[in-house]
Amino acid sequence: MVINEAEESDLLLDILDIKKNILKMIYLAQSGHPGGSLSCATLIYLLYKKIMKFNPKNPKWDERDIFILSKGHAAPALYSVLSKIGLITKEELTTLRKVNSKLQGHPVKNDQLGIEITTGSLGMGLSIGVGCALSAKLDKKKDKLIYVLLGDGELNEGSIWEAAMAASHYNLDNLIAIVDRNGIQSDGFTEEIMGLEPLANKWDAFGWDVIEVDGSNIREIIGGFQKSKKTIRKPTVIISYLVKGSDISFMEHSSKYHGRAPNKEEYENAIKEIEEIEKKIGVS
Amino acid sequence: MFLKLEEINMRDAFGKYLHNIGDKYKDMVVLDCDLSTSTRTNLFAKKYPKRFFNMGIAEQNMLGTAMGFAISGKIPIVSGFSIFTSGRAWEFIRMACHDNLNVKIITTHGGIVGEDGSTHNALEDLSIMATLPNLNVLIPVDNLELVQMLDFALKNEGPFYIRIPRESSTNVHNKNYHFTMRKPDVVKKGKDICFIGTGYGTILSLKSALEIENELNCTVKVINLSTIKPIDEEKLINEVKNVKGVIIIEEHNIYCGVGSIVARIFSERYPIKMKIIGVDNSYCQSGTRNEVLKEYGLNIENIIEKAKNLLS
Ligand SMILES: Cc1ncc(C[n+]2csc(CCOP(=O)(O)OP(=O)(O)O)c2C)c(N)n1
Repeated sequence: MVINEAEESDLLLDILDIKKNILKMIYLAQSGHPGGSLSCATLIYLLYKKIMKFNPKNPKWDERDIFILSKGHAAPALYSVLSKIGLITKEELTTLRKVNSKLQGHPVKNDQLGIEITTGSLGMGLSIGVGCALSAKLDKKKDKLIYVLLGDGELNEGSIWEAAMAASHYNLDNLIAIVDRNGIQSDGFTEEIMGLEPLANKWDAFGWDVIEVDGSNIREIIGGFQKSKKTIRKPTVIISYLVKGSDISFMEHSSKYHGRAPNKEEYENAIKEIEEIEKKIGVS
Repeated sequence: MFLKLEEINMRDAFGKYLHNIGDKYKDMVVLDCDLSTSTRTNLFAKKYPKRFFNMGIAEQNMLGTAMGFAISGKIPIVSGFSIFTSGRAWEFIRMACHDNLNVKIITTHGGIVGEDGSTHNALEDLSIMATLPNLNVLIPVDNLELVQMLDFALKNEGPFYIRIPRESSTNVHNKNYHFTMRKPDVVKKGKDICFIGTGYGTILSLKSALEIENELNCTVKVINLSTIKPIDEEKLINEVKNVKGVIIIEEHNIYCGVGSIVARIFSERYPIKMKIIGVDNSYCQSGTRNEVLKEYGLNIENIIEKAKNLLS
């Protein structure tokens, strides 16, 4: 799958729109996690739009690939992507974190939205992915792939490495972990809180195929996903180097907006910054 | 003094306490799991960087490390969100209590957290903590009580679980208040009915009591049950000897919560009409804290209705 320039700029514009919605939702809710939602928006969108077998008209389709947002606090990114592919209306987006909304603060299992499982308590997604991958093997569903998106801080949890061992022990080449390597967790930089490096070597030592991509480069991400499909008898991890709060200058590379909503002025400035980028790409 | 919104919330009071007490307890170490900004242990971390350990998002390892500190003669203070700390690391805590280790587990975001929703609510932590032999389980209602509880926990050997809410607190006690472990704390006198609250449940009890007394011709006693375990059963029973019924109000699941603990005591030793108000078998959902509390019946109107039923 090669994408041409026109398609690339369409995707980029979609992603910027998704980011605007992330900011809007969190601003209206006056709570949430902008930093880690903005960083992984591109990954989630490309998964749904270009990579996974997923039919928005039938989210329970038996042949679908499975996506697990293990870093559940990035729910606004998932909801904005689901809105982009037609599963959530614009009005519904404004109900984030409100009583009786489908759009709970952290994603809650929902068949209509194709949310496979509730997440938000970190460190569970990869084990759940192992279960899905083993099950697909049992059912001889060779084409069914399981994608799990992990935060880099989330890798502190021991359960992640228990799952990593199990996945390579059972040769789960249908399991793909994606690490949002934005370098920041809740209290600060990952390397200051609980050092992860050399991260690629760790996964390699656990028996995983490791692919590293520049998460700001759409072509590279898609290339990484394509490569992951060719791995045999091993699980794959795609370490995606990203920026926390990406595209919003005052949110980038900072833990300040990990779990803090922008105020009115910040929100308006953030939207302006995205509109500037849109202009450069050329919104018609 | 009475029912006044406090200027600093309980998390800040906790952070300040640790920050101020560090010199007095040279053996005290503080561990957090990537939530020091939220739990406010970051104040201690700044002042005593050598005695602060950010363990990353790894609650089990944090508890295990604390156990190691404890058997090496240190006083580890372990912090994080209530549900992740008590839940994820539960069996580590069980073994720490098994050996009666000097581990002080002081968590924030107890009860309903509000917008973060079901995954972050701690509505089962008291069940899984109170069932552990040797563990002291405490819930402060205001900053004054919190500070005295922390003092008590530091002065006394053994494991403690202290649950702090996310929200700002309301002052219930005057400054002469003296926290006594195990003792039911009568915060309001009354004769006809007795409310027993824990944490925010005590505040709801007080507010409801004042309204009921305005409406009906009766007086309401309110007990702040801030020691969940161990409870002085004799004293608790004595406090309800002359009332017509008891209403327990807790920010917790009513299955195996504080109500269940108290109900065991009364049903065995002093059967009395009872009603338990809390979250009825749900993980709850997102919303502002007040909206969520109301949605699940933790509001004054519901409490008054239940009190009327009990009295009639
Ligand atoms: C088990 C558990 N412990 C703690 C938390 C609180 N928490 C939410 S997000 C977060 C930091 C996550 O960092 P990272 O995985 O790097 O996410 P990102 O930077 O991509 O947002 C923490 C500690 C949680 N949700 N679950």
